[in-house]
Amino acid sequence: MPRRDFKKDKKTGNRKKFFVRRRKACKFCVEKIEYVDWKDVKTLQGFIPERGKILPRRISGVCSLHQRKLQTAIKRARAIALLPYATD
Amino acid sequence: MRLYDIVVVLSPEETPEQITALADGFKKILTDDGAEIKLEEVWGRRRLAYTIAKRREGVYYYWQAEAKTETIAELERKLRLSDEVLRHLAVRADEELKRAVKLKARREAKAAARPKKAAPASEPAAETSEPAQA
Repeated sequence: MPRRDFKKDKKTGNRKKFFVRRRKACKFCVEKIEYVDWKDVKTLQGFIPERGKILPRRISGVCSLHQRKLQTAIKRARAIALLPYATD
Repeated sequence: MRLYDIVVVLSPEETPEQITALADGFKKILTDDGAEIKLEEVWGRRRLAYTIAKRREGVYYYWQAEAKTETIAELERKLRLSDEVLRHLAVRADEELKRAVKLKARREAKAAARPKKAAPASEPAAETSEPAQA
């Protein structure tokens, strides 16, 4: 299947259906943080939505390597009540 | 000997003297067994993210210590036994830190290699623009 030519769409006015999404960047890669610290509650809190769940990668844009590190960091912080397991 | 991160959450109902005595006791278990405490942080009274044994607050202590596996096992056993300890966590820190150092070195090596590639690319471009002006 040929790739859709978005430039053509622009000309034909068929562009409404498509909008340009800004590419999400991994926060940890951008800030060059190699070690996701489980003691750093302030940073971790940014990946905890209201329900207390771990924010999925597809929303936050974190790369898979850092998401795995983030995951263990959040779980460790939860174990010592720095972060909630669940909130309602 | 391995590097460990240790966090102990104590009950806030004890008197400040009792709390410091308990913390010193745990430190002593480590040092008596040949462990070396590299870092000590007293985070103090913090709000718990969820209630533990009907308590909403806890007194946090953090240590980074180089200890033997057996020392940590003994410390964890004691922590589990004492009622004043609400939560505790002892995890290895050396592996992650080593990885972080390695990744940083790799990133720096890459960054050092990059300008070399970029420089020759920009020079021909500058050369081509000059004859155009002339």
